[in-house]
Amino acid sequence: MTLLILAAVALGTGIATILVSGERRSLALAIGLVGSLVVLALALAMPDTESLIIGGVGMISTPVVRAMAVAWSASLAVLGLLEIAVGGRPTVVGPSLVGLAVAGLALATRDPASSMAALAAGGVAGVVVPGLAGWLDGPDMPSRLPTTSRGTLAILGSGLLALAVIAWGASPAGPLGGGGRISIDPAAQLSLGLALLVIVAAVAIRTGLIPLHVWAARFMEGVSPLAIPAAFAWGSAAFVLVALDWSQVFLGPAAAGDAERLLIIFLALTSVVLGGLAAMVHDDVEHVLGYSILQDAGVALLAFASLEPGVVAAARNWLVASATVKTALAAWATVVRTTYGGHRLDDLGGWARHSPALGVAFAGILVAAIGLPNMALFQARTDLVASAMPGIGQILALFIAAMPAIYLGRIAIAGLAPVSPAVAAGMSGRPRWRGGRAVGWSEGPLTQAIRAIPGELRANRAPLMALGVLALAVMALLTATGGAGG
Amino acid sequence: MNLALVAIVLAIGAGAVLAVSTRDGAASATGLAVALVASALLSDPLPSAAVLAVRVVAALLVATMIRSAVRSGPRQPSPVGWPSEALLATAGAVAGLGLAVGLASAAAAGGLGLGLPGIGDAGPGGPVEPGGTALTSMALITAAGTSLLALGAAPLVHGRPGTRRAIGLVLVTQAVLLLRIGVAGPAVELEEIAREGLLVVAGATGAALAIATAGSMPAREDGERSGT
Repeated sequence: MTLLILAAVALGTGIATILVSGERRSLALAIGLVGSLVVLALALAMPDTESLIIGGVGMISTPVVRAMAVAWSASLAVLGLLEIAVGGRPTVVGPSLVGLAVAGLALATRDPASSMAALAAGGVAGVVVPGLAGWLDGPDMPSRLPTTSRGTLAILGSGLLALAVIAWGASPAGPLGGGGRISIDPAAQLSLGLALLVIVAAVAIRTGLIPLHVWAARFMEGVSPLAIPAAFAWGSAAFVLVALDWSQVFLGPAAAGDAERLLIIFLALTSVVLGGLAAMVHDDVEHVLGYSILQDAGVALLAFASLEPGVVAAARNWLVASATVKTALAAWATVVRTTYGGHRLDDLGGWARHSPALGVAFAGILVAAIGLPNMALFQARTDLVASAMPGIGQILALFIAAMPAIYLGRIAIAGLAPVSPAVAAGMSGRPRWRGGRAVGWSEGPLTQAIRAIPGELRANRAPLMALGVLALAVMALLTATGGAGG
Repeated sequence: MNLALVAIVLAIGAGAVLAVSTRDGAASATGLAVALVASALLSDPLPSAAVLAVRVVAALLVATMIRSAVRSGPRQPSPVGWPSEALLATAGAVAGLGLAVGLASAAAAGGLGLGLPGIGDAGPGGPVEPGGTALTSMALITAAGTSLLALGAAPLVHGRPGTRRAIGLVLVTQAVLLLRIGVAGPAVELEEIAREGLLVVAGATGAALAIATAGSMPAREDGERSGT
């Protein structure tokens, strides 16, 4: 029941935020922020296991649902505060709340067709709203509408494709005979493998894996980085989790034959390697963020190569933890862009010296992204890679873990370099006290203090935003350490 | 064979052909409304009143949103004309019937219990023989789905941005939803709600993109706006 209330609140406040954001920015942000906080409270109060039946389908809130709801709603509350500080039309909190509502319901629902339909419907807002109303370079950019259109097609198309293969699986003449796995003869094996490849194709389209990444790359460079986690990190994670659950339950490990396994590994490693390399060679932080998310999705795809229960559990940990980490990175990228105006490494020399809180936050993000042995994220990545490629998996996992060390390390090194003129000209990242007394104000000290709050907040906008990133970095470290209870 | 269902399938095809081929925006939206409402009724037996209401309301909502988009955008009739679109829809429906018969044959040949009213059902004359499936409601639903898929795919993938692409998006979404029922059987109530939510979102997204596209175009002569 708690999950239903959470979904209703998130859906209601999310849609309300989207609807009023065009005319009344402050009201939209207030609704979004209140909605995020209420959803966070509900997520924290949600029991680990709770079940009910709605419309003939069981809904069970599991530890993974709870972990995802808590991590997503907590990061959303911080993103809402950052959106207030950054300015512009609100395009982040509303779609994120809608995405959170449908993701929670989809993960809890025991009917995969309902889950996929809901995810496809709810995921579109994360692309359409920022695409139509939040293009950073202005609404006249020629890339805006085609990119948004392609993104819409990708999200709806992946959902429809998944819906089709789920229907095929439930068909009396499908690979499962409509009611559970049938005996594995060559024809049935072929059907199972085909069904697995189709659901993997849907996942590849939804997550924007290479070579289907062009729209995703254009989208990520066009919108505020704050809008990226809802569309890609969290939205993709929910889609992959539902697809993975369906594949494990309805297809089973037998579906991944040698040929299917090779194809899946090839597709996953293409995104892991090329995504990592692209993140290393690009100089702008939005591309680094975008390609690192693609790389994470590539690692998650490896779970489809074996579908063993232990691997699926690792994928759950990986998806939730990496989404939290990338949300923190997206917040960092936004704050850097807002504070210093630039987004290329050449323009960001000495950013960490200029804003120590932001530097500490980035250090936390760096550690969480790479992971340490015994951290859930590190172990999940190792399990995913090793299960898909026994023998070389352990070494390859270390190689993959080293990639974020390189592309995030470049940003860290730039932060420790001498302060560049562009960074020096930006807002100060250090807190300062303006004196706390408004000119001409002569009433009592309490009134003075209250009166001074807006001015102090404005004067300390940059350090406050850095504190928000720091909070997200702590969250990322906690999730990377504890995982999703998968 | 249920003649009422056949009539509904014909209405779906006719409405969809009108939606993608006409130059008149109002007629296009009307055709879409006919296709979607008829799709809501394509079921034997009919679902509960609540489910039926959800389906019809969603269909009308989508048609209304597309109508608002058509009003603001340029006219985008079919480049090949309605006879070609009608033939395409017919070909799609025939392919759907073939798919349904093939599925029934495969199921019957495999000796699998179907458990669903529809393809491969034992008719009054006795059990189903491989290749001898009667034309059942599931086969007709599959045919309607493939027909809409054939009509909607081209505007969706190759159409210019605007209302035609929005109509293609709605038709393809409805096509997959029909195929889902035609292939795997009736949906539970929760899935019905999710399905109709998906249809409404597809319509809203298509309409929003079409309106944004129309707004980004340079000013045109009044005659090119279908709503004027």
